[in-house]
Amino acid sequence: MISISPKTIATGSESLMTTPLDLTNLTPEQVALDINGLNLHYGNKQALNNISMAIPKGQVTAFIGPSGCGKSTLLRCINRMNDLVDNCHISGEINLHGNNIYGKHVDVAELRRKVGMVFQRPNPFPKSIYENVVYGLRIMGENNRRRLDEAVEKSLRSAALWNEVKDRLDESALGLSGGQQQRLVIARAIAIQPEVLLLDEPTSALDPISTLTIEELINDLKKQFTVVIVTHNMQQAARVSDQTAFMYMGDLIEYSDTNTLFTTPMKKKTEDYITGRYG
Amino acid sequence: MNKWFKSGSPWIWLSAGGVSISLISVVGLLWLIASRGLSYFWPSQLHQFDLIDENGVKSVVIGEIYDREEIPVSQLAHLNLTLAPEQEVLERLLIKTGNRELVSLDFRWLLSHYIVKDQTPKDLVVVERRTNGNFYGYIDSIILDGKSVPKDRLAELLSRVESFQEKIDELQKSDIGAINHQLERLRLKKRKYQLEDKLTPEVEAQLSQQKNALNISYEKLEKELLAFRKEISRDQLVMRAMDGQLVTINFDYILDVSFNNNLNFLEKLSVFFSQVGGFIMDDPREANTEGGVFPAIFGTVLMVLLMTVIVSPFGVIAAIYLHEYAGKNALTKLLRIAVINLAGVPSIVYGVFGLGFFVYMVGGSLDQLFYPENLPSPTFGTPGVLWSAITLAILTLPVVIVSTEEGLSRIPSSMRHGSLALGATKAETLWRIILPIASPAIMTGIILAIARAAGEVAPLMLVGVVKMAPNLPLDGNFPFLHLDRKFMHLGFHIYDVGFQSPNVEAARPLVYATALLLVTIIVALNMTAVSIRNKLRERYKMLEH
Amino acid sequence: MDNLQIGRHISGQFNEDLERVINNVMHMGGLVEKQLTDALAAVNQADVALAKQVLSNDYQINAYEVSIDDECTRIIAKRQPAAGDLRLIMAVVKTIADLERIGDEAEKIAKVALESFSSQQQDLLVNLDNLGRRVLEFLQASLDAFTRMDCDTAIKIHQMDDKINREYEALMRQLMTYMMEDPRSIPQVMTVIWSARGLERIGDRCQNICEYIIYFVKGKVVRHTTAEDMKNL
Repeated sequence: MISISPKTIATGSESLMTTPLDLTNLTPEQVALDINGLNLHYGNKQALNNISMAIPKGQVTAFIGPSGCGKSTLLRCINRMNDLVDNCHISGEINLHGNNIYGKHVDVAELRRKVGMVFQRPNPFPKSIYENVVYGLRIMGENNRRRLDEAVEKSLRSAALWNEVKDRLDESALGLSGGQQQRLVIARAIAIQPEVLLLDEPTSALDPISTLTIEELINDLKKQFTVVIVTHNMQQAARVSDQTAFMYMGDLIEYSDTNTLFTTPMKKKTEDYITGRYG
Repeated sequence: MNKWFKSGSPWIWLSAGGVSISLISVVGLLWLIASRGLSYFWPSQLHQFDLIDENGVKSVVIGEIYDREEIPVSQLAHLNLTLAPEQEVLERLLIKTGNRELVSLDFRWLLSHYIVKDQTPKDLVVVERRTNGNFYGYIDSIILDGKSVPKDRLAELLSRVESFQEKIDELQKSDIGAINHQLERLRLKKRKYQLEDKLTPEVEAQLSQQKNALNISYEKLEKELLAFRKEISRDQLVMRAMDGQLVTINFDYILDVSFNNNLNFLEKLSVFFSQVGGFIMDDPREANTEGGVFPAIFGTVLMVLLMTVIVSPFGVIAAIYLHEYAGKNALTKLLRIAVINLAGVPSIVYGVFGLGFFVYMVGGSLDQLFYPENLPSPTFGTPGVLWSAITLAILTLPVVIVSTEEGLSRIPSSMRHGSLALGATKAETLWRIILPIASPAIMTGIILAIARAAGEVAPLMLVGVVKMAPNLPLDGNFPFLHLDRKFMHLGFHIYDVGFQSPNVEAARPLVYATALLLVTIIVALNMTAVSIRNKLRERYKMLEH
Repeated sequence: MDNLQIGRHISGQFNEDLERVINNVMHMGGLVEKQLTDALAAVNQADVALAKQVLSNDYQINAYEVSIDDECTRIIAKRQPAAGDLRLIMAVVKTIADLERIGDEAEKIAKVALESFSSQQQDLLVNLDNLGRRVLEFLQASLDAFTRMDCDTAIKIHQMDDKINREYEALMRQLMTYMMEDPRSIPQVMTVIWSARGLERIGDRCQNICEYIIYFVKGKVVRHTTAEDMKNL
């Protein structure tokens, strides 16, 4: 028998992977968003029950769960898109830089500039590709053509779309394919340099190849932004995310690093969901 | 049979039938007004009928055949005609004989029974005149400066008169008109000073100095005008009428002399087009029964454009408020119902409202506030093109509101969310995203509004349309667009010519021609709007997933 | 089978696939067990016919391994199993590899029966038989635990390998003495040593199977850990 302590081997083998973050014990610098005791009601129906979680900075966090579990609702809470829904009441707090975004004097438009969002279906505006990308900047009052040009190129490169559209920036964005449109929408969102990027099932309307392109893109994006993604596709969550949160009926059931959650989930509900069993 | 009913094909046939009926009526209508209206401009044959009536009296009638009809012999029993016994009906011709100075009526019914000879002599002419309608007859002689000259100088003399006439018109309308306008303004200025008690002797002196200067240039122009007048009244045309009388017509009254029977097809075609052009470009003459309808076209188009300019922003703003900002409660619903019902109010009611509210209340107040120097003659306190446009704008407002709202509600919410998620406020989203996408729907509303407004006559009779407007609402005098002026309208023109004119028979083709023109203009306005809308639609087409 | 919970998948097809794989593993286990039993019996009774039968039956085990491997690959490709299912497939893939090796070892042991042993040398074989019995017991217990996916049993029997190792070392010393006493018997003794070595290896592989069971149930990798660590699971 070789006399190396079994312990060393064990830790050695783990160090082949990146060390997962201890999600219950993050330092303030590591936290991008701190959700604290969040409750949400649609009328009389409670859609989110006392959600508390810390979303780490510069990482991809995925929300998974069955339809109606509240994952999209939670995502929409982060940039206050739920404000548009009538009869929606929210208690608890979400802290961005230690400031509660549901505080009294929060400028929602300002918040949404910091927390960008990409939706399920690609929704480019019926304008040129160029105008789509600079839309957010124009809203912010930027009209310097040179700076806009730079932003367009940078964003489109970041969204891995530049090479495909650089010769037709003035053509309508509606002429792009679904996958290109979705990448354009991502470019549009990152053009205003948000801190957090929310992706609400960004590939559910796309074909598998476009989906892979977007997934690859997400992997690049986390170098610059904190990414939160909602997906129905568990394999996608497994592929792209660093952390995964499993939600069920408005509860946060399990939240841990993706490697653990997809091989050895702690909760039976999680196990049943990700292995496709009757709950 | 039962099976046939179950197959659903009866319904297909039924709906196809409905479509065909609408199609046939549209085509029929257009064909009717087009054929009747356009034949008015076609140079028709000039006939010379030799007649012998039942008493054996011979006579000659010269003119154009306007209409024919058959009447039963029984109605003509009192005439004691000698007819073949089996003949039950007789043909009767309506002849336009013109020559109003000789006969009281320029139309005349002729029984074909009396006609012994029908000729179309080549040298028969129709003279179109400034007053007294057409003159039919033969050219007897041409008198140039008191001396008889050969007939072949007719064309030359006509074009000479025409060029002078153009100069006179120019002089009268722009130069003298401008001086008159300035004189009027001076008068008003003086009156204003008087009203404000600021009329110091210096001001008065200054004003009268300006007035004198204007008067001097006016006199100068008037002299020029008189000189021109003298020039064109130099020559005369002597015509021989159907009964052999000689009639002298001054050249300055002659618009055109046409040898209709001597024209080949191409020449007729060119006459036709010049007639159509004259109809579109000229002012009306002789109580609207002759001449063109240009002021009416201009008034109609201007009023519709003004109406569009007024109704579009209001309708769109109202729709945006109702759809985007108003709370979803009973009051909003009530408001929406009210708007929709507004579309069902009879248009004459809007006319009454416009007269009472806009003309008398708003216009009256405006006059007192801004135009006291004009009083007691009203400026805005009287029907005018502005009030007509506003009244029609209110009339068509519901159409624009409803279709704009329709368009707004069709925009996918993903567009809104996409914009909001980029940090845009609701107003920015509306302005940059929602309105452009809704623009085809807004255009549809405007198209419907134009279609409705251009055909509306009843309310306009109360708030601005007149039979004969001395000036166009748009001219070369400051402020160029005179919103307080009354205007002419094609729809009203049709009514006026068709039912109010002294000579209904003469005016009937004109009614058709004007109707055709009105339809053409509405179609043109609509087509313009439709093409704009289609361009917009093309741009936003792919949005519908 | 309770711990497996194979039957609760929403996809019935997936259930069937997994069940088929598990059943095949059990058949394969049974076959391996029989091969080892037969090999030991052949050695014990110097039954050449039985030994030959063992040799000729090994291909069945190999065939099972290949087909189960295929099946697992297909399941991974088509179902992308996660969590428990993924661990089950991984455990199965590794278990069948070990079972196949056990089959190979049984084959080697059976070859011993083909050698001729003098009557004095027969007691060498008795010792081998003792070790064989113990290893067979371990294999049966492991397969039993695998069938039930019984983690507790697996942890308990995991220790059996220690005894086997000790017994193996004792046997080794004995054989060494034997060789020193009678150098002429070295070829026969070497044959016995290879067999004993094979049995010891089977013990190690049974221990691996226990570890796979623990991995499947607990999701923890217990390979290369100490006995104390395992007890703390």
